Amino acid sequence: MALASLGAAFVLLPVVALFVRAPWSRLGGALSGVGASTALRLSLEVSLAATAISVAVGVPLAWTLARGEFPGRNLLRAAVILPIVLPPVVGGVGLLVALGRSGMVGRWLHDALGIQLTFTTAGAVVATTFVSMPLVVLATEAGLRGLDRRYEQAAAAMGGSPWYVFRRVTLPMVAPQLAAGAVLTWARALGEFGATITFAGNLAGRTQTMPLAVFEARQIDPGGAIVLSLILVVVSVSVLVALGGRLTGLR
Amino acid sequence: MLGLVAAACSGTSSAGSAATSTLTVFAASSLTAAFNQIGPGFTAANPGITVTFNFGSSTDLAAQIQSEGTADVFASASGIAMDSVEGDPGVTDRSVFATNRLVVITPPDDPAGIASIADLAKSGVQLVLAAKGVPVGDYARQALTSAGILQAAMQNVVSNEDDDASVVAKVTSGEADAGIVYTSDVVAAGNAVRSVTIPPAVNVVASYPIAVVGSTQSQAGTSFLDYVMGSKGQATLKDFGFGPAG
Repeated sequence: MALASLGAAFVLLPVVALFVRAPWSRLGGALSGVGASTALRLSLEVSLAATAISVAVGVPLAWTLARGEFPGRNLLRAAVILPIVLPPVVGGVGLLVALGRSGMVGRWLHDALGIQLTFTTAGAVVATTFVSMPLVVLATEAGLRGLDRRYEQAAAAMGGSPWYVFRRVTLPMVAPQLAAGAVLTWARALGEFGATITFAGNLAGRTQTMPLAVFEARQIDPGGAIVLSLILVVVSVSVLVALGGRLTGLR
Repeated sequence: MLGLVAAACSGTSSAGSAATSTLTVFAASSLTAAFNQIGPGFTAANPGITVTFNFGSSTDLAAQIQSEGTADVFASASGIAMDSVEGDPGVTDRSVFATNRLVVITPPDDPAGIASIADLAKSGVQLVLAAKGVPVGDYARQALTSAGILQAAMQNVVSNEDDDASVVAKVTSGEADAGIVYTSDVVAAGNAVRSVTIPPAVNVVASYPIAVVGSTQSQAGTSFLDYVMGSKGQATLKDFGFGPAG
């Protein structure tokens, strides 16, 4: 119990300090001065796009990891988890040499198709997806592994096509884990900083998400940095509380 | 680590003993390479005093000095950052120890065809600067203003970086077409960048002030200032692309 209190206090202390030190008297000025609304809108757009892509690509990946029988599956799983372990800045450097304008694949994208990801909002989405996708993959894979496969077998025996079985039996049964994973992915995406600034750069309205805005505001206006941080805290907590009980099955 | 601190304490309390003391120097990130060479040189000239460095943005360092007070010496890339700590107790001996100038850098193959600072206003140039509030970012905006192209150049900015090193990284990776950094950065980057001189009439001379900021090690701090201002320190700074103080 004492340890639990210590743990809670440790997590809460920085947030409390932000509230205490916030320049409440000039909140309005600080809000408009640091471009909070632009950064917040971009943050929401980037994190939601990254979550959507993560689910679209990550669920098939989770299915492959849970059900596929092929050599190197454990290696693939390790590779998928890697972005969680890597410092995000390392992910950013990796993305730069892979997808940057002079990167391995990025050079071709740029020269043949005229697509440049660095310094664009799309680039911020790419960096954020790279860092946050593993969470939904892991959660969904765990769900698929815990599934009683007799339900799927029964549906298949009754003539359901594999796609029908997946859609009507498998997916609803792993929905809680998938949703929990998606929320974690979104939360991680909202806080993403290192890979984004390294790969996509930092420009207001284009790649400057809330964490980057906080980082830049420290230089000019430390009070503004606290205000931006508080907004991020309030938005994150509101969404997590609202979703925590209803969608995710975490409770 | 604890042993080191203990040694440092005994070093100051029993003057003249062979015990070592540790001097903590907060320095602008543009000084990293030069100071990493000056550190051992200083210890060789002042046996018993080792130097540890904390490099970062001058603005950040000034804030850390005010809130933590763990630094003994502060070497700043801007007078403004030094101004913000100068009134604090224990801050003494402020003087300018080096100067730096701005330079335009491009990738070696110069994809956007930059021949002068004026070319930074050409449409489609992907320009990277340090952010406002970072000394080199403020100086760059000053130079662009003097060149009469601030507005057009700001339209070309694709990223505002945290420090000069990050600007160099965006250019050496080939992602940005151009950036504005210090001449000392070009020396450190070597062949990885091509540099385009900014004429003196437009250029900004950045003065680097240094001061003793902690009273506990003020004597060792003064020795460090003397070394940096002396012939050996100045020669090292010159090797790394810095101009003389005067």
